Amino acid sequence: MKKIFAFIILSGMLACKKNVLDISPQDRISEDAVWSDENLIKAYENELYNAIPHGFYIHMYSKYTDESYNSAPCCGADIFARNTYSPDNITNASGGDFWGGYMYYWNQGYQYIRKANVFLEQMASSKLQFTDKPRLVAEAKFLRAFMYFELIERFGGVPLVMKSYQLGDSASFVRSSFDDCISAIGKDLDDAMPDLPARYLSTDVNFGRATQDACMALRSRAYLYAASALFNPTNDVQKWQKAADAAEALLNRGYSLYPDYRKLFILPSGAAEDEYIFCRSFTSTNGHQAPMNNLGRRYGAYGGWWASNGPSQNLVDDYDMTSGEPAFTWSGGTKTVNAASGYDPNHPYWNRDPRFDATIIHDSTTYHGDLIEMWISKDGNSWGYDSYKQSSDNPRGGYILKKFMPEADVPLSWQTIYTNPWPYFRLAEIYLNYAEAKFELGDEVTCREYLNKVRERAGMPDIQASVTGDALRARVYNERRIELAFEEHRFFDIRRWKIASDIENRPIMGMDIVKDLGTGVTTYTPVQLLVKVPYQDKMNLLPVETNEIKRNPKMGQTLGW
Amino acid sequence: MLGQSYYLFINQYESMKKSLFGCPPKSIRFYYKTLLMVKFIFLFTLIGSMQAMGKGFGQGTVTLKLKDVRISKVIDAIRAQGNYRFVYKDQILPKDEKVSVDVINAPIQQVLGQLFLHTTLSYKFLSEDLIVITNDEPAPEVRTVFATIHGKVTNAKGEPLEGATVTLKNTNKQAVTKADGTFSLETDDLKGVLIISFVGMQAQEVAVAGRSEINFIMQQLTSDLNDVVVVGYSTQKKETLTGSVVQVSGKEIAKSPAPNVVSSLAGQLPGLTVNQRSGEPGRDDPSIFIRGTGTFGDASPLIIIDGVERSLLARLNPQDIESISVLKDASAAIYGARAANGVILITTKKGVKGKTAFNFSYNYAFQRPTKIPQMLDAATFAEVYNEGDWYRKGRPANNTPFYSDDAIQKFKDGSDPVLYPNTNWVHEVLRPYSYQQNVNLQASGGSETVRYLLSFGTMNQDGNFRHNPTFYQQYNLRSKVEADLTKNLTVGANIYAILNNRKYSSVATNVNFINILQANPTIVAQYPNGLIGPGRLGENPLLMDQRGFDAIQDAPIYSTFTASYKIPFIKGLRLDASYNYDMSNQFEKLWSIPYYFYEYNVTTKQYDKKQGTGTSTASLTDTYRKWTTRLYNFRMTYEKMFFTDHHVTAMVGLEQQQTSYSDASAYRKNFVSTAIDQINVGSTAPADKNNSGSATSGAYNNYFGRLNYDFRSKYLFEFLFRYNGSQIFPQNKRYGFFPGVSAGWRISEEPFFRNSAPFVDQLKLRATYGQVGNDRVGPYQYLQSFSFGNNYVFGTSDVPGIYANTMPNPNITWEVSKKADVGLETSLWKGLLGMELTLWMERRSNILAQPNLSVSNVFGFSALPSQNIGKVDNHGFELMLSHRNRVGALQYNIAANIAYARSKIIFMDEAPQSEPYQNLTGHPVGAALYYKGGGIFHTQDELDKYPHGAGAQVGDIRVLDLNNDGVIDSKDQFRFNYSNTPEYVFGLNTNFQYKGFDLTVFFQGQTKAYSYDNTAAVLGGTDFANAVVRRAANRWTVNNPNGMMPRSDAWQPGATTFFLYDDTFIRLKTLEFGYSLPRDLLSRYHVFNDVRVYASAFNLLTWAKQIKWADPEIGGDFTTYPQQRIINLGVNVKF
Repeated sequence: MKKIFAFIILSGMLACKKNVLDISPQDRISEDAVWSDENLIKAYENELYNAIPHGFYIHMYSKYTDESYNSAPCCGADIFARNTYSPDNITNASGGDFWGGYMYYWNQGYQYIRKANVFLEQMASSKLQFTDKPRLVAEAKFLRAFMYFELIERFGGVPLVMKSYQLGDSASFVRSSFDDCISAIGKDLDDAMPDLPARYLSTDVNFGRATQDACMALRSRAYLYAASALFNPTNDVQKWQKAADAAEALLNRGYSLYPDYRKLFILPSGAAEDEYIFCRSFTSTNGHQAPMNNLGRRYGAYGGWWASNGPSQNLVDDYDMTSGEPAFTWSGGTKTVNAASGYDPNHPYWNRDPRFDATIIHDSTTYHGDLIEMWISKDGNSWGYDSYKQSSDNPRGGYILKKFMPEADVPLSWQTIYTNPWPYFRLAEIYLNYAEAKFELGDEVTCREYLNKVRERAGMPDIQASVTGDALRARVYNERRIELAFEEHRFFDIRRWKIASDIENRPIMGMDIVKDLGTGVTTYTPVQLLVKVPYQDKMNLLPVETNEIKRNPKMGQTLGW
Repeated sequence: MLGQSYYLFINQYESMKKSLFGCPPKSIRFYYKTLLMVKFIFLFTLIGSMQAMGKGFGQGTVTLKLKDVRISKVIDAIRAQGNYRFVYKDQILPKDEKVSVDVINAPIQQVLGQLFLHTTLSYKFLSEDLIVITNDEPAPEVRTVFATIHGKVTNAKGEPLEGATVTLKNTNKQAVTKADGTFSLETDDLKGVLIISFVGMQAQEVAVAGRSEINFIMQQLTSDLNDVVVVGYSTQKKETLTGSVVQVSGKEIAKSPAPNVVSSLAGQLPGLTVNQRSGEPGRDDPSIFIRGTGTFGDASPLIIIDGVERSLLARLNPQDIESISVLKDASAAIYGARAANGVILITTKKGVKGKTAFNFSYNYAFQRPTKIPQMLDAATFAEVYNEGDWYRKGRPANNTPFYSDDAIQKFKDGSDPVLYPNTNWVHEVLRPYSYQQNVNLQASGGSETVRYLLSFGTMNQDGNFRHNPTFYQQYNLRSKVEADLTKNLTVGANIYAILNNRKYSSVATNVNFINILQANPTIVAQYPNGLIGPGRLGENPLLMDQRGFDAIQDAPIYSTFTASYKIPFIKGLRLDASYNYDMSNQFEKLWSIPYYFYEYNVTTKQYDKKQGTGTSTASLTDTYRKWTTRLYNFRMTYEKMFFTDHHVTAMVGLEQQQTSYSDASAYRKNFVSTAIDQINVGSTAPADKNNSGSATSGAYNNYFGRLNYDFRSKYLFEFLFRYNGSQIFPQNKRYGFFPGVSAGWRISEEPFFRNSAPFVDQLKLRATYGQVGNDRVGPYQYLQSFSFGNNYVFGTSDVPGIYANTMPNPNITWEVSKKADVGLETSLWKGLLGMELTLWMERRSNILAQPNLSVSNVFGFSALPSQNIGKVDNHGFELMLSHRNRVGALQYNIAANIAYARSKIIFMDEAPQSEPYQNLTGHPVGAALYYKGGGIFHTQDELDKYPHGAGAQVGDIRVLDLNNDGVIDSKDQFRFNYSNTPEYVFGLNTNFQYKGFDLTVFFQGQTKAYSYDNTAAVLGGTDFANAVVRRAANRWTVNNPNGMMPRSDAWQPGATTFFLYDDTFIRLKTLEFGYSLPRDLLSRYHVFNDVRVYASAFNLLTWAKQIKWADPEIGGDFTTYPQQRIINLGVNVKF
């Protein structure tokens, strides 16, 4: 008995540990370790690239504007599609996939800005030296500039935070002016460029990292925006000059337009091409499912449901005819067929700009070896397999997105991970930036020259010297709409041009395609799909979330909100 | 001895002399088979037996512990104690009858009564200490002409009981006691057995055995004042308890056929709020709150099973549970930093001395969802979609509807089930009922020195889907052994396992329910030829069985080893030690295989086979997870009575706990065949493989103690504390001190009171105050740490990323709860009315919460750490009423309880709201913002005249302009005063017993809870989601401008009160009706002691105040796995 008792006491004494509470975390790395290990520093810097949203989230920005008909009742997509966004619901769009593709970039942006600031501060104070250090610092500066650009194109001037705060620090943030933000972006780019290589070839292992050319491309876009009507109310010509110069600097850096417009966007990451200046690459383990979010039922995809980017009739109508003429003309808010263009309402898809067939799947398109049929019989009792009558996975408007959608060499299934990269900057945009800036500077010849470079690649005739003034501006705007469709430019372009109050008040249209099975005759009737809430000028810039204004009383809400 | 004032007396009587039939024995073997086993349970109290001393012949007491001995041995033992002498002839004592006696301070009269119950012996007191034993055998024909039995019936305190019934068994001879407790019963002879019963008291049977004067001391029925309540690290008598502790016995819980123990607790324990939000087999754990939610941090209570914080409470075998008690107030302070949300203590059964008792039960149950929303049929769906479509288009005059009139007609008449089906998805996918099966076998018993309980239980529960692998299976194994190694040293082991296998579809179940309830009824589920169609988004739930599975095997083993040593040289001093080792292994196999559906192709008129979403090749993820908990506990307890009136118990202890968790998972895809779901069969290509893992550990170091003092059980005082060390916090903030004090006054023990209000059995006033902590936040928040992840791609390859976790907060510490309670307990008229009222209040401070309300996003902090910033007040009451009575052979009791809890946020770092009515501060935890709906806009005129949001059209909800600024914006939202956690929960439990029949009817309910249901708002949207019938009924249309429901595709600026529903309901939670076979019948066959058949039901009926279309307990969107209604048939056999 005493033995047992002794055993219990002894085992008790053995069991008790004095420092039982001293346990280090096992599933994470301490901060000290990160900043003293070259590989971890690099991993930290790699992660900064996630700051910049790409366009392959379930909700693409195309459905926030007149590029496509949005059928998603969900979240951010709906508030933009119907123009019902406000400071009260804007955070609906603050996430990736379902949550609006970071259209409300405020939270994501400032989090990554802090990450970049921490990185820059740590690198500045660290005694650790390694070969790539200056380049990594330069990349972080480029990324910070890009983040600020993502913010200002949405919100206008925002608070400039160039250092990292610690928890408990108090700070009162005020919005810097848009121009000050542009200056800050310019300075970061200037600082970054000396330590960056000029470019990486698209086949290089580092392709996708910041380069001097990427800096210049960002500068071109930023200065173009800064010169535009929304941000340049006095139409300061100097700003247009800066925009033109920034674009011009990139014209002869070894880039060229990829010969095949259709193919450019479906090349897998790592394919050889010379057009992309900066892009987001993907792999089969880190890829996207854009085709399945956009195609129709024929491929088991969800195109007609929440993810629809089914192109709108509005966009379709804006493709020129192969004659080089616009199919429609607008005057006084009404649209009429441009008879001179050769447009035939009974055959609306004939003789259109080749980029139309490269961008949009429509009735009678052959895609992936399949004849796409969007028609519905006159009696309504039979229909084409791709029509909305067959399945709600087929877009109601009668069009399916083709840009970025693979050809027959890539299988279409939820099981395939797609690796075609997302273009942030490509040469065609630089040409169009240049053309626009030159136009605003009065150099219509150069403007047409660069518009035509873009058109030539697509196989379109030149814009004639007879097109000048406002007509030419309309062509500049339209060329950008067509060439850069679905690349997330339209939403911002119509705002900076201050034409959104016109564009966004037009209903989103689709096409009813009715086939007489007896005669085989097909008739095409545009159909109104969505009437948006009337657009107000304040919508040119996004509001900041109500709570964020309450947290920052001095910062002020975006003008008009 | 003190503190053990009730004793268990089990007397196992084995007669080898003759069987009850009187048949001559055929063989020895036969003897053994027809053992007569009789069991008695007596409860005595110390006070009763002490006060009974020296009040006449046979009023003395005996303490004895003998097992399987001859009667002569018992008599010798009594004689050896020196108080009694016996006179008898040796040969009259049966030699081959063995008895067991285990009594402490039992009245001699009753001991002898039991001893001679099955013999023909009788006894008589010749003097106070001289007993004559005689054998009055045969002389059967000589009839005693007339005899009268006199006696007196008293309670444990010696007070006379008036109105007690004394019946001679199997006769109609009966007497009732007078005011002085005396009775007199006329009998034919002085033989037979007397049954004495009294309301609220344990009925007794005593052999007359030739006596003409028999006195009885009645004992209180168990579940009342003499109940023992489990409190932290010890037990206390209910009557001297000072804290707010409620307890329910395992017996009550086992009445419910619900497979989940926690779901059976709803309404049973006042102060405990249990809401079951899902009924999915194996994933149906309800949320539990004690006294509502007093914090906006983690409000879940601490759950202690047999002394250790353990999981799977819901998965315990209800048959193994002795009791569940809930520490609601400062009595939880003994659990220190984890106990601010209250503590639930579960004690499991243990073996008691005696012959092996077997308890077997078998249950078979049918289950089906309580309520499945009725969704629109295809034709109505098409109509509302057309309406929504027309509104979206801007209400054009010339419109081609999405669904033509012709199509709608076909949906209605079913003439084309391929292209125009009218699919009732609920009917197609859910089975009318599924089954559940439950088998339990328990064996318990013990000898003088070793006691044991072995228990085995198994339960199967099937899912509700057709074509779905959902299945739940559980095995409960328990072995509990206690051995007295020496007179003073007892060691024990309690080892149990809850092996469970869960199998689900490889797709999340809530997704499945969306695919059922929101699936478009105009699309086919299954074609007339039997082929399965694509369903919503190609995810037809009928295909679930073809998509692989998610199988989870849990194999937790919980072990507790205890030792208890009574220090021989210091009376009252005891040492207890325990070592607990819990190990839980989980293996999850997620097997996804490609699946196919068929789709009718209008062009080719063929059914195309198509691959669904998900994987293209079979892929498998095997995940191993392991948890361990080690806990050492040492306690020293000292209990002593000073100067006969001062009762002191003191306990100090220390406890160390270490926990660990690790997991590892392996993934492969591109399996050659889907026939083998093993990881080694998958492709070995590097791109097709992946693996991962993680690990964490934690620790606590604690010192705790308790001091109890009472004066004659009248003035009660308690102090308890815990000095709690937790590894979660930074080094200098790890230890905290959490004290609690309480006091009680048993007014009913005061002589003046007892005399003036004799009808009061018990009246107690009690109060507690203490400070408890809550440390439920992620560990290491004081460090800045980084995690791997968020990889990026350069060129054609992945590059690794790391990112910072939560921002560090070097000052993080406990959340503190200060709790105060006052209570009044009373029992009147011997249990005819019982009442317990507790009023309580609580203030939480230092609440750990993210200060995200005031920290601007411009700072760019990643996740913010918890900071000790919040303050919440919480208050409420609990009221319990009980009534216990007997009317003839009908015995019944009714117990009702209601609990109220309401919190109020005092401070939470709230950014200033636009309008004062929006502040969360001042409102309960969980109060949300809503727009106020004021009907709908019936006409364009109404719309034009009233401010409305940009998206509003005629037929939309009229959102009230609360601040009258002419604009509908977020400023018009107001803070709603309730959340979906109910403020009032109540229960009503009734038990009836009539002869062999028993009936339990248990109602449970809640009120002052509201939930917003976004799915109830859905109608006619672009996503083709189906809607509930009530949403479409009487909706606004151009032709029905007076409709009360909003139009199809209605717009609202955010959540409006229009779709905010009152969650009030009352539910017939448990109904059980049983019949026990008469013992007389059973005793003829000598096999079973007790056979009971019963039918029971769970969630049988529900009355919802407002939510009549779905189960009102879901508390939000109805697209979740619904709660189950269970109808069960069972049999219970004891032998």
